[in-house]
Amino acid sequence: MAEVKKNEEPRIGVFVCHCGTNIAGSVNIQEVKDYAASLPNVVVSNDYQYMCSTPGQNMIVEAIKEHNLSGVVVAACSPRLHEPTFRNATKTGGLNPFRFEMANIREQNSWVHMHQPEEATKKAKDAIRIAVAKASLLQDLHPKSVPVEKAAMVVGAGVGGMQAALDLANAGIKTYLVEKTPTIGGRMSQLDKTFPTLDCSQCILTPKMVDVYRNENIELLTYTEVEGVEGYIGNFDVTLRKKARGVLTPDEAEARGIVGGGCNGCGDCVDVCPVIKPNPFELGMAPRKAIYIYHPQVVPLIYTIDFDSCVKCGLCVDACGDKKAIDLEMQDELMTVKVGTVILATGYDIFPIEKKPEWGYKNYDNVITSLEFERLICASGPTGGKLIRPSDGATPKRVGFVLCAGSRDNTGVGRPYCSRFCCMYSLKHAHQIIEKIPGAVPYIFYMDIRSFGKMYEEFYYRIQDEGAKFIRGRVANILEDPETKNLYIKAEDTLLGRPVDVEVDMVVLAAAVQPSAETERTRRLFGVSCSQDGWLLEAHPKLNPCGTTTAGVYLAGVCQGPKDIPDTVAQAEGAASAASIPIHKGAVELEPYFAQCIEEKCAGCGLCVNLCPYQALSLVEKNGRKVMQVTEAKCKGCGTCGGFCPGGAIWMQHFATPQIIAQIDAFLLGGEE
Amino acid sequence: MAKTKYNDPKLEEKLRDRKYYITDSNPEFLKDVERIGRTIAHMCFQCGTCTGSCPSAPRSSYRIRLFMRKAVMGLEDEALTDPDLWLCTTCYSCTDRCPRDIAPTDVIMAMRNLAARRDIIPRNFLKTTQLIYQTGHGVPNNDVNRAARRKLGLTEEPPTTHMYPEYIKGIRKIMDHYGLKERADRILAEGE
Repeated sequence: MAEVKKNEEPRIGVFVCHCGTNIAGSVNIQEVKDYAASLPNVVVSNDYQYMCSTPGQNMIVEAIKEHNLSGVVVAACSPRLHEPTFRNATKTGGLNPFRFEMANIREQNSWVHMHQPEEATKKAKDAIRIAVAKASLLQDLHPKSVPVEKAAMVVGAGVGGMQAALDLANAGIKTYLVEKTPTIGGRMSQLDKTFPTLDCSQCILTPKMVDVYRNENIELLTYTEVEGVEGYIGNFDVTLRKKARGVLTPDEAEARGIVGGGCNGCGDCVDVCPVIKPNPFELGMAPRKAIYIYHPQVVPLIYTIDFDSCVKCGLCVDACGDKKAIDLEMQDELMTVKVGTVILATGYDIFPIEKKPEWGYKNYDNVITSLEFERLICASGPTGGKLIRPSDGATPKRVGFVLCAGSRDNTGVGRPYCSRFCCMYSLKHAHQIIEKIPGAVPYIFYMDIRSFGKMYEEFYYRIQDEGAKFIRGRVANILEDPETKNLYIKAEDTLLGRPVDVEVDMVVLAAAVQPSAETERTRRLFGVSCSQDGWLLEAHPKLNPCGTTTAGVYLAGVCQGPKDIPDTVAQAEGAASAASIPIHKGAVELEPYFAQCIEEKCAGCGLCVNLCPYQALSLVEKNGRKVMQVTEAKCKGCGTCGGFCPGGAIWMQHFATPQIIAQIDAFLLGGEE
Repeated sequence: MAKTKYNDPKLEEKLRDRKYYITDSNPEFLKDVERIGRTIAHMCFQCGTCTGSCPSAPRSSYRIRLFMRKAVMGLEDEALTDPDLWLCTTCYSCTDRCPRDIAPTDVIMAMRNLAARRDIIPRNFLKTTQLIYQTGHGVPNNDVNRAARRKLGLTEEPPTTHMYPEYIKGIRKIMDHYGLKERADRILAEGE
C-alpha cells in the first residue's frame, strides 16, 4: 500500500491559469485567486497567464520549495491536456507527482459559460474548493512498470494495415497481420487506377503484398478474425478465430505428414467444382466457384472453400490428387497470441446508396456505384476492362457522375461528412472514359470539387482540359426511359440558374463511405471509442491522430475517418511508429490507480472477485485466513470492487473513499455564497 | 467615388449600381423567415437540389434556390416583391430531397406570409380568397365539371360545401378571424 505520511498538516498551493482569455475572459481570476487563499490548508494562491508555460511551471516548483507544500492544485484546462505537465512540475519541485490535483475551469466551465461571467466565477471557486479538499488528502503513489511483449498485431490487411505491418516488421518487431478475407490487399486491390498519378493500383500494390508475404517478421493470418481480447498495453492476449478454409497450405500439409503437398494454387479444383456463386471481390458482377480465389494476384495464393455453398461432392479432392490440400471436414481453430501493441486498420464499406431512392440504384440497371465502375473499367475485372452498360452491354458514350451521393447529407438517411476521396476518383473516372471510349463525354454533377492534395488541383485542371463537362449542382433525381434504359439526370445548373435534364447512357454514383461492417465489433473488443458517425476515435484529432484513448491501441487508415491512399499510408506509418515505441522501450508505466486490499478489514467473502470486469482479483491464504489479492497490472482502477465491498476493505488508490467524501463535503458544505 | 449624372432616367437606370452592399441586408428577415417557416434556412449550401426537384422551375422563372439565397443574405425587398414567390405549388419535393434537411417550401410560405403583411399578394390569389369565402372552394364547381360528373355517375355537386352550403359559414368564421376576405377586398378595391 502507498505510504501515508502521518500527522502531517496539509499545505496546499493553488495556481489559477488565465489561459490567455480562454479562462480569464469569463472567470474573474483575481476573485477566484483570493477565494482560494481563504480556503483551509491553502498556504499560497497565485495566478499566471499560462500555467503550462515554463515560467508557469517554475512558479509551482518554487512554491513547493518556498512554502514546503504537501499538495498542488492547478485550476486550468482538462487534465487530459496538461495533467502530465503539472505532475512533472510537481515532481521537479520535490513532491510525489500524485500529490497534484487539477481543477478543470476551462472545458467544463469558461468555454461553456462564456456569456455568464458571474456563474462561471462561482463555479470555478467550487471546482477549486473541491480540488483543494482532495489535494489535502492525497498520498504518495508510485507507478508500476510492466514489461512489454516484443510483438505487435495489425488488424486488417488493406494498404494501411500492410504498410503498418511492414514498418513494424522492418523495425525488428514480430507482427501478426490479421485479415478476415482470404487475401490481403483490401479495397486498393479492387481499384483500377489511382489519382492523380494514374498508377495502376494493383501494379503498385502487389509488390507490397509480396513484401508482406515474404517478411520474416510478419505472421500473416488471412481468413482470420479477432475473437477476444484480454490484457492491457504491453500484454494483450488476443484470441483469433482461424476460419475453416478447407484448404491446407504447404506448411500445414507438411505438419500433417503430407510431404510435398498442400495448395500450390494450380486451380485444378476450380475447374471441377459444380457450385457457382457471385464473387464478392467483383461486387457480384462475376462468378466464382465454391472453392475460389478472389483474383489471380491473391496473397497468399491458397484457395478457400465457401462452406456455406459447398455441397461436399468431393470432386475437388479428386482433382487435387496427391497434393492432398483439400480437407472438407476442416473446422475453425482458435488460437491466442500475446502482443504488446495493436494497430486497427479495419477500413470502410460503401454506403448502401439504394437508401437514397431518388438516384435509382438497384432500380435502374445502368446506375452503378463508383466501386462497380472501378471493376468494370479494370483490365482484370469481369469485362476485361471494357466499360459496358449493365442493361445491354453497349458502350456508354455519355456518362453522368453524381458526386456527394449520400455524403454531406444531414437528413439522417445519408452520411453527414465529406467522404473525401470521391471528387478525385470521379475526376479519374472521367479521364478513364475519355481515354478508353472515343467521343465519350463525362458529365460531373458536383457541389464543390475538393482537390486539396498535392497535384490534385492540377489533376482537376487536366481533366477539365480533356473535355469533361462540370455541372455545378447536386443531382435532384434520376429517371429511366424504360425502352432505351437511358437515364435522365435532373438537377439545377446553379451557375446558370437553370434546371437541367441531361440524358446519359450510364450513371456512376460516387457513394459515401462508412465504417466496415466489422469495425463496431472489433473496436468493442479492443475498448476503443468511436465518434457519432462510427469512425474510430483518435486520442486527439490534431496532436495524437494515430493513438486511441486505450493505451497500446493505435489507428491506421479509413477506420479513423475517410482518407485517400497517401493519407492512409502516412497514418499507417505514424501508427507503426507509435506502436513500436512501447515495444522498443521494453516497459510501460501504469498509472498507480490500483485497488488495494486492507487485509485487516477483508472478510475474505470473495464477492469482489466475481464482480471485477478485468479478472484482476483473487482470494489467497494469508496468515491462516482468506483475503483478497489484486493483480495490479490487470487492475484498471474502475472502482467496481471498491464501491461494492461490504466491509470497506478495498482502498482505491487516488480515488479513495475519504478523498471522494472530502470532495463531496467540500461541494455540499463548503460554499459560502 | 462621386456618381456621374447623365440627366437621362433611362441611362441612369441602365447604369445603376447593382453591387450588393452589406447595408442592403435586413438581418431580421432571415430570423423572421426561420421563425415563421420553422426551418433552418441559414444552413442552405446552395446545391440546387431544390430547383432540380421543382416541377415549377422548368416551366417558369421560379428558382427556389435563389429565394433561399435571398433569405440568407437578408434581401427582404428583393424576395418579397418578386412575383416568382407565388409560383411554388407547395408539392414539397424540395423538402423531401434537401440534403441539409431544410424545408425550402416552408421558407417560401414564410416569405408569402411576410409579403402578405405588406399587402404584396397577386390579384389571382386574392380572387381565390374571395371565391373560398363565397363558395368554400378556390375553384368552384362549374357546368363543364357538372356534366363530367354526371357522365361518371356522380352527383352534380361534390360532397363538400357545394352539397352542404350550411358549412360555408364555418369557413367564413375562420377567414374572418384572420381578416383574409377583408384584406383581399381592400387590396383589390385599391387596385381598381
